[in-house]
Amino acid sequence: MNIDNTQSQMRKGVLEFCILSIIRQGEAYPSDIVEKMKAANLNILEGTLYPLLTRLKNAELLTYRWVESNSGPPRKYFMLTDKGLAFYGELEATWNELANAVNALTAPAIVGQNPDNQL
Amino acid sequence: MKKVININFQGRVIPIEETAYDMLKQYVESLRLFFADEEGKDEIINDIEGRIAELFEEVLKKGSTCINDSDVNNIINSMGRPEDFDADEAKVYTKLESDSSTGAKATAEPFVRGKLYRDENSKVLGGVCSGVANYFNVDPLLIRILSIVFFGVAFWAYLIMWVVVPSSSSVVIGSQRKRLFRDPDTRIIAGVCSGLAQYFSVQTWIPRVLFLIPFLSFVFRWGNWGFWDFPHFVSFSFSPGAIVIYIILWLVLPEAKSAADKLEMKGEKVDLNNIKSTIQGDLVGFKDRATAFGNELKERAQEVGENISNASRRAGTEASSATRKSGGGLGRVTLVLFKVFAYFIVGSILLSIVIGLFAVGVILTGLLPAYTYVLDSNYQEVLAWVTLICFVWVPVIAVVTWIIRRLASKKGNSGVIRLTFLSLWIIGVICFVNLLISVSSEFRYRNRPTEETVALSNPSVNRLEVKSMSLTKYYDRSWLRFEPFNTLDGDTVLVKNIQLRIVKAAGDSFQVRVVKMANGSTRDEAERNASKISFSVAQMDSLLTLDKGIAINREDKFRNQQVIVTVAVPVGKKVFVNENIGWGNDVHVDMGRGNNYRDWEDEEESYAYRWRHNVEYVMTEKGLERTDKRIGDDEDADQSDALEQYRKSREEIQKEREQKLRELDELNRELQTPVDTTGLRSDSGRYRYTPKQKDSRRVRITNNAPESNQALGGTSNLLMIHLP
Repeated sequence: MNIDNTQSQMRKGVLEFCILSIIRQGEAYPSDIVEKMKAANLNILEGTLYPLLTRLKNAELLTYRWVESNSGPPRKYFMLTDKGLAFYGELEATWNELANAVNALTAPAIVGQNPDNQL
Repeated sequence: MKKVININFQGRVIPIEETAYDMLKQYVESLRLFFADEEGKDEIINDIEGRIAELFEEVLKKGSTCINDSDVNNIINSMGRPEDFDADEAKVYTKLESDSSTGAKATAEPFVRGKLYRDENSKVLGGVCSGVANYFNVDPLLIRILSIVFFGVAFWAYLIMWVVVPSSSSVVIGSQRKRLFRDPDTRIIAGVCSGLAQYFSVQTWIPRVLFLIPFLSFVFRWGNWGFWDFPHFVSFSFSPGAIVIYIILWLVLPEAKSAADKLEMKGEKVDLNNIKSTIQGDLVGFKDRATAFGNELKERAQEVGENISNASRRAGTEASSATRKSGGGLGRVTLVLFKVFAYFIVGSILLSIVIGLFAVGVILTGLLPAYTYVLDSNYQEVLAWVTLICFVWVPVIAVVTWIIRRLASKKGNSGVIRLTFLSLWIIGVICFVNLLISVSSEFRYRNRPTEETVALSNPSVNRLEVKSMSLTKYYDRSWLRFEPFNTLDGDTVLVKNIQLRIVKAAGDSFQVRVVKMANGSTRDEAERNASKISFSVAQMDSLLTLDKGIAINREDKFRNQQVIVTVAVPVGKKVFVNENIGWGNDVHVDMGRGNNYRDWEDEEESYAYRWRHNVEYVMTEKGLERTDKRIGDDEDADQSDALEQYRKSREEIQKEREQKLRELDELNRELQTPVDTTGLRSDSGRYRYTPKQKDSRRVRITNNAPESNQALGGTSNLLMIHLP
């Protein structure tokens, strides 16, 4: 069992959720997303963010508009579509369920000395 | 001092150092390779390039005059290298900054997996052997000796690996150096061929066919393999030596598992200069290293010689440690060899099935003219054609197509193709069944045979020879013969569906009876078919001439016409069946319904068919017997017969003895002269004489007293006749 593999699986599942939630808060530019995630101590390579955004855009969850920039070429600003919003809602529900379940399962392992009494 | 160039990058003019530009170019190229299979790859690359351009602008804004190496490095690090993206994990890889342990593990990983490099530190020629030894964790000397022993095969494997396996000293920057891997994505067996194709940037089927040609020649030579083919087996050119190379490469090449591996596999183009520089570089100082290797070999040999006294104890411990050391390697070798064996068996079976189907197809197609003699209506002919094409040829084509598609690793549409072939084949099966039903209905009924007695012109001869009229000439042989059909001319064939019985006659004259039989869709039809059979029997003196077969043409179809000729031989008279009759009792088509007509078979019938061509038989009370019967030839010869035989043989021996004596006299006369004049010693030994008789009896004359010539003449007691 490869620990790296499991870890990256876990992160991967959460990643799309995180990106969508950042974009939901307002139009976002990819490097903004990276900065925000970095601030939350979740580091992502920009090289992996771009393909992910393209894939979400192709799935019609995201859309973008060009914004002229004074430094460099025009920038792509991403925003959620209606479909993306619904998708996000489902992800959020799943995340809450999962988080509760994981918390419930992992927390009593420290407290509950006798697992027979749990149910 | 560095050269600065201006590039147009995402619509901006950017001054950049040439080395930095090369790095940037390599990086973008590696991204392109990495996202090659991605749907929106151009967009992704464009986005990333846009971001890089933005970062360049930022650098330039800070006051830098141009972009240098460290700038590009920083940007590449923040964007991430393709090796850092994980291919299998949807190309997403994040790393918690605080978690430094994962980073350490990631760098350690390649060493665990064990990549194959040419070892620069302990190389003799190209470092291939020591690299392989490192890979399997065994002594390089072992690999070197093996490669020298199996020079014929190892030469090519060595050459391939020398060119293709990277040297351990070459610095891997941006993963641009191309490396040879086994490609698991497009593999058939182990991905060796597809890896080679990737490396040399050729179509995948090219190395596959190159490896397959020798394999095919091996399979086709299967029948005539001898001991002396072994050296041939080892040599490469057009022999199964390629299989050995395949095994070596399979064992030695790592599989391209990770994204980084796959990138390296595709890498930059390999040109002739690349190869030349690799080999030239290694050849420098080869002589010195070779001498060193020779010395090492000598030292090792001496060492072994010195230690031979206490070898037993040490060898035991050494062997065990060596096994432990190379345990993993050996296990892999066994596994690979086993796999190769399994694939080889499967391949052979598949190939023989294809060849068998192909042969059936060719034979059935070649027999097309014969169909018109069997098939009645257009309907049946159509059925036969469809059956031939769909039932026989479609599987052949399907299997061949499948093999070709596998070799060319074509994907997609395979479902459609499979479905097409399958439906065609099902149509073929339906037609085949229909054809069988339709044709067999034509054969449903059999006529009621009647035995006709043929009037013989001279039935009281003592010996009857059965012969056939020869209708064909020696040059009428056709290349394809299908018993019992034998083509006579364009629209007539001879069906050799004839049996000859020889039975005992009641009276004292020969009798010949003929039974004609045929099948038909109704009883009447069968009778009509049987009556149409023209089969002539004629006697001329002691010759009984029969037709060579039953002639049928396109109108009178083949309906299992059959003729049984019975020759009744009176007791004491002889019969002889000439070989030119062409048919024996072993060849006949029997499609009769059940054996109803064989109810009258009694004991006589059991030997009525038991005759051979070109043998003279005499009819006795007990049945047929050969006239030239030899001793011990027939087990069921009874007592009186044996006695008679014995008497006969005694007479023969007597006769023979007299003849030998006469010959001896003549010999003696011949001997007179040389014995008198020349030295007696020269032929004083023994004189043997073996008469050249056809039978196996030998006569040996031993002359013990050569001096006394007179004694020799009169002594018949020195004559020894050895009888078997």
